[in-house]
Amino acid sequence: MILTITTNEVHMSSLLSTTTSRRNLLLGGASLLGAAGLAACAPASGGSGGSGSKTLNVLFFGTQQKADETAKVAEPFIKANPGVTVKFTGINGTDWNDFFTKVLTQIAGGNPPDIVSVATEGVQLFAQKKLAHPLDEYVKRDKDQLASYFKDVHPSLVEAMMYKGNLYELPTDFNAGNMYFNTKVLKSSGLELPKPDWTMDEFKTLATAMKKGSPDAVPFDWVVRLWGSWTSFMYANGGNLLTEGKYSGGDWLWNDMYKGVTGAEGRGGGWQWGAPTANSDAVVESLDFVHELIAGGLSAKPDVGGGSTLQGLFSNDKIGMSIGGGFWAGGLHNAGMKPDAFDVQFFPKWKVQRHLFGTGGYGIFESSKNKDLAWEFLKSLVEPKSIEVLTAGNSTTPARRSMVTEERYAPTGPKNWKVFYDTLDKLPNSAPIPAPPYYNAMATALNQRTTEAMSSGNVKQALDGLQKDLETAAASTGS
Amino acid sequence: MTTVPARGGLPGARRAGGPRPRPHHTPAMRQESRFGWMMFALSGLAILVFTALPIVFTLLLSFFTWDVITPPQFVGFQNFQKLASDTAVIHSFGVTGLLAVLIVILQIVIGLTMALLVQQRKSTWARSIFRTAFFLPLLVSAASISIVFSYLFDTNFGVVNYYLQLIGIAPVDWMNSPAGATATIVIVAVWQKLGFVFILFVAALGSLPQDVLEAVSLDGSGPIRTFFSIKLPLISPTIFFAAVIGMIDAMQIFDQPYVMTKGGPGDSTTTTVMLIYRTAFQNIDFGYGSAISVVLFLLLLLLTWMQFTVSRKWVFYS
Repeated sequence: MILTITTNEVHMSSLLSTTTSRRNLLLGGASLLGAAGLAACAPASGGSGGSGSKTLNVLFFGTQQKADETAKVAEPFIKANPGVTVKFTGINGTDWNDFFTKVLTQIAGGNPPDIVSVATEGVQLFAQKKLAHPLDEYVKRDKDQLASYFKDVHPSLVEAMMYKGNLYELPTDFNAGNMYFNTKVLKSSGLELPKPDWTMDEFKTLATAMKKGSPDAVPFDWVVRLWGSWTSFMYANGGNLLTEGKYSGGDWLWNDMYKGVTGAEGRGGGWQWGAPTANSDAVVESLDFVHELIAGGLSAKPDVGGGSTLQGLFSNDKIGMSIGGGFWAGGLHNAGMKPDAFDVQFFPKWKVQRHLFGTGGYGIFESSKNKDLAWEFLKSLVEPKSIEVLTAGNSTTPARRSMVTEERYAPTGPKNWKVFYDTLDKLPNSAPIPAPPYYNAMATALNQRTTEAMSSGNVKQALDGLQKDLETAAASTGS
Repeated sequence: MTTVPARGGLPGARRAGGPRPRPHHTPAMRQESRFGWMMFALSGLAILVFTALPIVFTLLLSFFTWDVITPPQFVGFQNFQKLASDTAVIHSFGVTGLLAVLIVILQIVIGLTMALLVQQRKSTWARSIFRTAFFLPLLVSAASISIVFSYLFDTNFGVVNYYLQLIGIAPVDWMNSPAGATATIVIVAVWQKLGFVFILFVAALGSLPQDVLEAVSLDGSGPIRTFFSIKLPLISPTIFFAAVIGMIDAMQIFDQPYVMTKGGPGDSTTTTVMLIYRTAFQNIDFGYGSAISVVLFLLLLLLTWMQFTVSRKWVFYS
């Protein structure tokens, strides 16, 4: 490197001389370019690259401000490991699709992290591309240390973090698509929170009553996306965008950590998302149902995106019902809603009372030079104290059952908070959102075809298009 | 003719085979020369690194498949062959073309009209206020503007529909219908970029030769006749400039549809640059994304060439 600088200095001096020839100019220019190239290729200072430094770089989905707040989670770990630093970098995005795009761009830029926060949406993508490192050997080695964690976490969340028999993450939080109610709209319509086993007919009756009783509010609203959208209706109708299956494997985990645990039976080595079924009868019927809600004035026309607008409208009493997870409790509280201004119930039963969910956690990058250290940090992240930081303000639902308590939801609401974990415990058919390795293409196609269906009214044609899109996407990744 | 011998030889004399005379440089000249070369090197480096190299890299990448994670694979013209039959790409060019034509025409018509109206104001302060007000939107990021406008045009809860209903007009399905979404994007794009075109026309109208205008006025020409027969031909180079720059800019439209409609409903507002972004960054197919970029670049080149060719028939340079 010193030699390079010296050479550049020589050429720079040539450049600055008054008798510069064209040859010298070209040489100087080439040297400058070379230096720029080398600078671009050099690892960032403080990185965990080849320098052997003990810095763990963590990519976090959120603003840098949120990342800085979350970085507190690393304080006990840093204290216990002198000389180690943990750097949280926030990557902001409208949704997981946006986040992955930016993470992949960072990898393309030659700056892969050690650890990355990845939700269900990206687990299989990261695993299939061999970006994530399997945790199997670490878990087997430290199974005694992790016994209390697994005992506290529903097996469906753990299974959602597996791909082809390997475990890639330890879940820290999750969100299932439950139904939220604006208490003011309910009361002004003379209605009460429905019972847990309410049906889709009752949902429609309730929405109709809301329309009459609260003309200033729209009974139901939703967002065009994969999680908690019309896809919740699709799950309740027994449909899915892709054929459901399970990879074999994972026995080492189920036999060791979940032996005899209710809900662990029938678990495998992760969800295997097979051939697209986007234009199957159940799926078409589901989207048709939602389209009819809009046509009948029972639902607003949806936006595409993350759902912040939806929360804003809900908190301003403009919406009676919407699909939300535990994260809505924190979101609505931050939007100024009092704990009793909203409540939550299971999603209604149609053919089945099945919920979709997504779970989040942290994975180790295959390219990390500090995998052992990263694993130690990952273990510290699933400690109750860490999950307390990660789920602060009920920005999401803790993956540990013991942490979903009355005390937690007293400041924010809702009153019926038990629904969050009961969705997993009492409705064991709840399943993760379909998130194959081609998730990005799938999410884009879903958004596009849903808006097409809503604007044209031709649901079948739009879903036929989605089916083709998914077939193309699946073929391109060899899935 | 008198010649002054230069130092070191006869004027203009270059003896065949003889050494080239070395010009004498004073220290000030040397310093100026050094500074000049330094400036050249810096800007040259910036152009190379940030413009030339990415263009060359994109061109090269269009002949490969690359998913960022695994090494690129050479596929020859395969990406371009695929592109030729890709209905999504062809559709996106149609969408982009329609948006660009609408945006450029409206920008020029409204910008020119506003400039003419502002020119009527005699007081300098009024002109300054109008110029500043119309130029301000250009300083705000397109993404921020798009977010604000998406709230204003929301079908269910937007302010625009609220006021339309107050005057007895049924709510418009702004962003949930193909026509409404296209119209919304055009409105936002025109509103934001109008300031630039407006300033161009204000400057052009302000520099019209007063003697000519006075002459036609004395000849009894009315304002409409004066505009179409005198002013319009005289500012035709500005209109041409606005059309070329506007077209190049509008053909690369991304922010407004990305933020407001995500390319929907369906793919009715999916522009070519959005498709490039999706292909390269979301579907992680940088080779194919680069191929679409190259075709867009060539299309822009062709459009600009056509505009220059046609301009010979209507642009008046004097």
